[in-house]
Amino acid sequence: MRIKKIMLRETLSLTVILLLGFSARMMAQDTVSSSAKVMESIPTESRRMALETAGAFQNDGFRIRDGEWSATLSKGAPVFLQVTLFAGENYWFVAASQATGALLRVTVFDASGKPVKTELWHNEANAEGTRSAAGVAPTQSGKYFIGVEGMKKTNRPTEGSLDFSLVYCYK
Amino acid sequence: MDPANTPMTEPQKQAAVFLDALSVPSPGEVFAALNKACRPNWATLVTPATAPVTTERPQLALAVGVLTANGYIAVEAQDGQQVKNVGRELMALAKSLGVSQSLLGRGNSLMEFADNNDWDALADELEATENEVKNTMVEQKDRDLVTLTSAAAWLRGLEVATGVVLASDSLQGSGTLYQPELARRLAKQLDSLPDRMKRGALVPAVKRTLETTASLLENPDPKGDTLRKNYKKIYDDCSVVVKAILSSSTPAPTATPSPALSTKPPKS
Repeated sequence: MRIKKIMLRETLSLTVILLLGFSARMMAQDTVSSSAKVMESIPTESRRMALETAGAFQNDGFRIRDGEWSATLSKGAPVFLQVTLFAGENYWFVAASQATGALLRVTVFDASGKPVKTELWHNEANAEGTRSAAGVAPTQSGKYFIGVEGMKKTNRPTEGSLDFSLVYCYK
Repeated sequence: MDPANTPMTEPQKQAAVFLDALSVPSPGEVFAALNKACRPNWATLVTPATAPVTTERPQLALAVGVLTANGYIAVEAQDGQQVKNVGRELMALAKSLGVSQSLLGRGNSLMEFADNNDWDALADELEATENEVKNTMVEQKDRDLVTLTSAAAWLRGLEVATGVVLASDSLQGSGTLYQPELARRLAKQLDSLPDRMKRGALVPAVKRTLETTASLLENPDPKGDTLRKNYKKIYDDCSVVVKAILSSSTPAPTATPSPALSTKPPKS
């Protein structure tokens, strides 16, 4: 029964991806209020990878928000998304990119801009593409920022541009 | 210093992206937090789903937000019939807005999941339906309507949350209400809508409610009675504006609710 439910949810997620596809990205990019950099179109593959990774958390009772943030990192400079989080809830922010050989770093900041303690996860270095996630259980409700930056394996910022997609889940 | 431990700069905070689909918590997210804090009796919070009869597009967009939030309440209450009713009304609203072309499948899914009592899938489908309506609004160059839908869904969620918190002697769950920046941000977005969208009483009333809510929540450390009074004011204002959104005659909501419209928070 549980497997059937999970399969149903995954089918639903895929349907959502297919149905929303381009138009969802257009809406997301259209409502962006910052630099033009984040308004470039992003390959769907990054979103698929992000959702696939988030699916693992979904199996653990997390619910994935039906929306994504896709952006391009330029020379490793971080970009930030504003979110509202609730005390007592658990969150995972998952970023993914098709690019291989780079590392995405996901950081959670509180309303004042200070980094918050998170649980970090990223895929194996030799895997295809790059996937990273940050888990947080806020102690205070309110505004937070999610930062994403591109790093080389040497822990230095990437030099070229890097497309990524971020989704989040909560429970 | 490790770059991961570097605080954000003020320009970085200012330039942070605000995305309707992720920066505004869905009603489901608010209710999940509320469930953890105080386990509300959702069955008592279910309200009849009735879309307004109007040709005013701003009101229709606001109603999509309120009805979606009502759908989440019905899901939390595990009331399949009510979810179906909400689904039907959402489809009717989408039709009135001229954005129903791609939504028939969604309506059918809502019915099917409700029949199967698949509450998780229903919650996912509700958010997907709301987003699909918004996407179609964007495609049809009606992006301003999206802001209205998000604001209304959030206000309806806040109305329910304040009602639940007020029903507790110790104001249990009040942590879930603390979203002043979001209220301020949504009010600012409504303020920047084109004048044609702000004609009539409804949209200005929604904006005023968001502004009042932000001011009350920004109060740094209110104690006891003041805190309860603040929450009561938020609850009353939200109730009045939500009623006006779903009203077919669109009466002008007053800043201070009239006794007739000022409902008592439901006991949960």
